[in-house]
Amino acid sequence: MINWLYIALQAIINGLLTGALYAIIGMGMALIFGVMRIVNFAHGAFLMMGMYATYVVFQATGISPYYQFPLAGALLFLVGYATYMGLLRPIRGQVDFMVILLTMGLALILVDGAQLVFGADYHQINIPLLSKNIHIGPQISINAPWLVAFAIAAVLACALYWVVTQTMFGRAARAIAQNPYAAPLMGINVNRVQAVSFGIGSAAAGIAGSLLLPVFYLFPEVGNQFKLKSFVMVVLGGMGSIQGAAIAGLVLGVVESLTSLYWGNEWALAVDFVLFILVLSLKPSGIFGSQRA
Amino acid sequence: MKRAFLLFSLVISPVFFWACQRSKGPEGNTFKIGVVTSLTGSNAAFGQAHKNGYTIALEEINAKGGLLGKQVELDYYDDQSRPDQAVQGVSKLVDQDRVPIVLGAYSSESTRAIVPVVTQKQIPLIIPTAVADNVMESNSPWIFRICAGSGSFATATLDFLKNNGDPKKLAIVSENTNFGQANNKSMTEAAKAAGLDLVDSESYQASSPDYKSLLQRVKGKNPEVIYFASYLLDASTLMRQSEQLNLNPKYYTSAGTGFAAAEFPTTDKGAGKYAEYTFSVSQWLPSAKWKGSQEFDQKYFKLAGSHPAYHAMEAYAVLLVAAAAINNAKSDQAQAIRDAIKQVDLADTPFGPVKFEARGQNQHPVLITQVQGGQYKVVWPPDAAESKPIIPTPEWSKRQ
Repeated sequence: MINWLYIALQAIINGLLTGALYAIIGMGMALIFGVMRIVNFAHGAFLMMGMYATYVVFQATGISPYYQFPLAGALLFLVGYATYMGLLRPIRGQVDFMVILLTMGLALILVDGAQLVFGADYHQINIPLLSKNIHIGPQISINAPWLVAFAIAAVLACALYWVVTQTMFGRAARAIAQNPYAAPLMGINVNRVQAVSFGIGSAAAGIAGSLLLPVFYLFPEVGNQFKLKSFVMVVLGGMGSIQGAAIAGLVLGVVESLTSLYWGNEWALAVDFVLFILVLSLKPSGIFGSQRA
Repeated sequence: MKRAFLLFSLVISPVFFWACQRSKGPEGNTFKIGVVTSLTGSNAAFGQAHKNGYTIALEEINAKGGLLGKQVELDYYDDQSRPDQAVQGVSKLVDQDRVPIVLGAYSSESTRAIVPVVTQKQIPLIIPTAVADNVMESNSPWIFRICAGSGSFATATLDFLKNNGDPKKLAIVSENTNFGQANNKSMTEAAKAAGLDLVDSESYQASSPDYKSLLQRVKGKNPEVIYFASYLLDASTLMRQSEQLNLNPKYYTSAGTGFAAAEFPTTDKGAGKYAEYTFSVSQWLPSAKWKGSQEFDQKYFKLAGSHPAYHAMEAYAVLLVAAAAINNAKSDQAQAIRDAIKQVDLADTPFGPVKFEARGQNQHPVLITQVQGGQYKVVWPPDAAESKPIIPTPEWSKRQ
């Protein structure tokens, strides 16, 4: 009876495929939190915007989301950049509560705005790739779009990691994260670096939305559940650690998948938040023990 | 200080005046009927179907001169597919807008939440689509339901199965709000009574992108029949992912709703080809034998550009029933309208005969349909069947 092994393996693969998408969402959130200590409540709304942008382009041109996701990324980068410059910068240095209110308000406006423009109806798209399955042996099957999304997500996650750890910009961003007062004294343009970080973080959410579109469906409130998950990932990954959030995303995907296989789907979300509470209370610096807590 | 107060009163008094005017309610030029449904949120597709159904009935009623000499106006409250909003909606409609009757809500979850509220406010409620049997359990004299309930869904499905191959191993997969849970419970009880072997019972969170692990569990139990209780978004995803996992029960059956929505067999908003061969309970189809069904279908198509499913018809029918009751009551008072609803006996509406038994339930027959060539075809009971059921469901690998 090797059957159960295949079933578990299949569940782990499914979990990793979903987890890779979670990972980009979480990395975007972690970047913003890490550099600015901003809890971005509009992260889910940005993901939703990315989905709608991709949907509109798809409806107009028929180009598969897997080719046109950079568009959503670029759009959301601009949105993120503008949000920081126009809305967040003026209230920097005020109490954190202001930032929470502002991003929450922004999320409400975006979600209701989407409802106004596109209606509350849900949408989905159909691309030929959706009906392609890749079979590995007799037992394991992988749906092609999930695999493509996984590959893109993996490349993007590595690129983001490289940007943050290896480039001048990344060093500047980390310098600000370590000490926002000393960084400008070292000649770092704090506003610009933060705006770009916010832009990149938002772009990550937008791209995740774009990649999710073919395998999911679209409605104005779609971002909420991913926003909640991204909080969990940031905490699990160690408060602003990008690689931590990425790993946390994969872990979350696998844990959900296995929970759903062995205990039933209704527990999957509960387990997310049990993890969240456990980590917060037992190891607040995150399970992937980040240097900054 | 005094001046400020004067200024303040000047500004505020028109607002009060306006508010008082508004709350006068039925004395206006129109007769207001309250409607709670889900125009936004995850059930928006069904809420929109409701609205189209109501709109058609409203036009017919107003074309015939309205009610009690007044044109009828529907006072909508969108519950955003959330039960707490539905409760707020009833309060708003009854306390502020003074409607004497409420129709709705869409989902079983929202409907169960408003049943105690209308009972307490002593306003009649006619339920179009909530199939969970627990919405009728309060025995409130203010509650009426036109659609069949989860118990009838289960017995009709089992009756069909018994006469079509008599499978024994059943798995239930249901979403985790009132609708799914009530259908799960009804089917569990009915299956036990019918001697079926319930090999698996799963419930899930409806807004999840991934049901593959859940379906994997079901596959491991090797059922002959799967009975789904799902809304539309999840129904489409479940069928797509069943194909991905090569899950091949002999029968895909379901408690209607998502599996019976007009959008479900379409490619752009539903499961498309993955919907093929799925069975569903149904309560009405455009091809129904009742007089006016085709006319309703045509009007609906003109209005919405698509063909209706039973959810729209049930909304249409509750408004017709409400209108008949109000006409008979010759009153705009809640109590009189309630008493008239009890007496309603409509022999031929496009939804069939409507008459409420003592507990407020309308006895409505349940059909079984199968998606064949992208269309819902009635396959059971035999006297209503349009075509033969295709059994067993072809395996995914052997489909075109």
